[in-house]
Amino acid sequence: MGNCFSDVPGGRAAIGGTARGLLNAIDAPNDAVDNFLRSRGYHGLFSQIELSFSASGLRDRDFLSKSDPMMVLYTRGKHGALEEIGRTEVVLNSLDPKWITKHLIMYHFEVVQFLVFRVYDIDTQFHNLDVKMLKLEEQQFLGEATCALSEIIIKSDRSLALELRREDPIRSMHSQNCGKLLVHAEECVGSKTTVEMIFRCSDLENRDLFSKSDPFLIISKLVEGGTHIPICKTEVIKNDLSPQWKPVFLNIQQVGGKDNPLILECYNFNTNGKHDLIGKVQKSLAELEKLHASGQGETLFLPTGGGHNSHNKVLKSRVYLDKFSESVQYSFLDYLSAGFELNFMVAIDFTASNGNPRLPDSLHYIDPSGRPNAYQKAIVEVGEVLQFYDSDKRFPTWGFGARPIDGPVSHCFNLNGSSHYCEVEGIQGIMMAYTSALLNVSLAGPTLFGPVISNAALIASQSVATGARKYFVLLIITDGVVTDLQETKDALVKASDLPLSILIVGVGGADFKEMEILDADKGERLESSFGRVASRDIVQFVPFRDVQSGEISVVQALLAELPTQFLSYMRNRNIQPTL
Amino acid sequence: MSSRSFEITILSAENLRTNKTSIKKNVFVKIQTDGNGEVRTTKVNGEGGSYPSWNEKVVMEVPLHARFITLEVNCKATMGIKSVGIAMIPVSDIVGGFVPQNQVQFLSYRLWDSKVNRNGVINISVRVKMPEISLLLPPAINGLPAQGVPVTGKSSNAVVTGIPINWF
Repeated sequence: MGNCFSDVPGGRAAIGGTARGLLNAIDAPNDAVDNFLRSRGYHGLFSQIELSFSASGLRDRDFLSKSDPMMVLYTRGKHGALEEIGRTEVVLNSLDPKWITKHLIMYHFEVVQFLVFRVYDIDTQFHNLDVKMLKLEEQQFLGEATCALSEIIIKSDRSLALELRREDPIRSMHSQNCGKLLVHAEECVGSKTTVEMIFRCSDLENRDLFSKSDPFLIISKLVEGGTHIPICKTEVIKNDLSPQWKPVFLNIQQVGGKDNPLILECYNFNTNGKHDLIGKVQKSLAELEKLHASGQGETLFLPTGGGHNSHNKVLKSRVYLDKFSESVQYSFLDYLSAGFELNFMVAIDFTASNGNPRLPDSLHYIDPSGRPNAYQKAIVEVGEVLQFYDSDKRFPTWGFGARPIDGPVSHCFNLNGSSHYCEVEGIQGIMMAYTSALLNVSLAGPTLFGPVISNAALIASQSVATGARKYFVLLIITDGVVTDLQETKDALVKASDLPLSILIVGVGGADFKEMEILDADKGERLESSFGRVASRDIVQFVPFRDVQSGEISVVQALLAELPTQFLSYMRNRNIQPTL
Repeated sequence: MSSRSFEITILSAENLRTNKTSIKKNVFVKIQTDGNGEVRTTKVNGEGGSYPSWNEKVVMEVPLHARFITLEVNCKATMGIKSVGIAMIPVSDIVGGFVPQNQVQFLSYRLWDSKVNRNGVINISVRVKMPEISLLLPPAINGLPAQGVPVTGKSSNAVVTGIPINWF
């Protein structure tokens, strides 16, 4: 049996449309992937779909109150393995939750994409905690549903109701019905304009017995078929009949256009999950803008009675807009077209763990018949995607972990054999430098990333010093067993403040657990041995064996984090893509 | 010149705890350096809980021999002021790193509590304020071409006073 108490402070927090979510817009459409695919003529075969979720009739697992549901979305991979895409927020005390968090998913026309939805009752305290940190095995499972993405898309109203099921270990033949999950899909049209609004209300009605109302706002949009989908919720302000909420940030894309009607609802927060409506109003963004300009308040009303003869009771309460400002959030492509350059650097692992290059089982074996080895394959396939975004197609290229003729082991040597310059021309240049280097060095160890990262950081910092508008990406191709984990972390932390991202591509079948540590996606930030913490995530790790040649997923895997990392650097520093 | 001016912006802190429970409110930061007795404090953050943000800029004179800038996150409670966590920032991270001087650097540090346990992270941005003179150098920082004001005076017989660039 679960915990009887719900985390009330957690339920009071604002969801969606907060400033923090805006800056680290991980869910923003990935225009780098989009642009690359269009250039290859994949036009129209894929699109970004935004999914929103609601449920009804969930099982009640809490003792004194109702369940606190959260939904986790997975995709089912080729081999049946589940990959988590994202989690919604936790809705306090509700068996019919409407989640506000949306999830973006790339719809591939040619692939059947299976989605798995799992709903959990969250018993732990989640206030001030990222939902990603919640351990699912400690939560109570409420039910699961599966469907293919295309099943939702082909529906005329783009909504699909699914039965939630839960395998019962005792009566294993029957799976219990655990309520319904409604999934709604919408195609994303990217929009860069964000509106910041500060709402204030006056003369709200009092609904609490011993104190004043605890108001919060929910903003929903109307979609085809007359249903409305919540897009953001403000924080709860306690004991206030004239509250002013923190700024709300809405993307025009989320809203669906400036003239799309929005429904503003003001509720009185109740810990038991039954929040009472204390007034609503319907306005489009354009009308809200006028409202702000006039400085007047708009009267709230309350629908009374049910069915057809419902009429609205006009209230004394009013809603005001203390701020309405539009700002443009520049996208990755905006920066590139404004003259920001991406520069790729390549580092290749020449350590002995790859195996003797003269033997066919080595990752470095050069097949006389011309069949590419693991590294050559990675260079060509990864390089092809990345060079699309490189402006001069000249790549500084290094090797590490090998002994050049008659020298000591070097952890960063120029692959082209030159002692003065490290650049090579194009993918072909990397390939040539790679094969000639293989003949001229003997593989050694240990595997140190530190020197290569420091070298890349030096180049990036010199570029900052001269004021160049460049962003660097270091591509490290490795078989994955890193010896200097702490030194690598130190170098990464030091480099985190530079215009630099590091893309690690793992080849071969080694254990890549350590690489996953470097890729700080799972919530923990990298920490150096001196107590400094990475100011942002600059590492992305992609195991090459998961990547199938020629598929769209290669592009997606490689470019998944680059735009976000790029934008986090630019936005932190307030750099605008001016021409 | 025996000190440099650091422009430190205390941005925010994350995941602060006292006795394993998250902090409710009233957190502020004390900034000190080991070279002189200068102490600065930020305003008290009333509502941010375990994730307070200040966005407050302080300018500090940091002696050349100073090795650390110490940031101490404190919590104002009914029982008095309680230390939540300390971060010691080596001055060498700010002036000796990859980033050229006069650039804004965004740095984050681990906070340690009085029992030397990890307790959250503090985010700051720092800029070393360059002496006025060096600002006369061509402003190459923003990647913009240096824009000079053409000397228009036809009858300019006055002596031009200036300091040769190599002088520093």
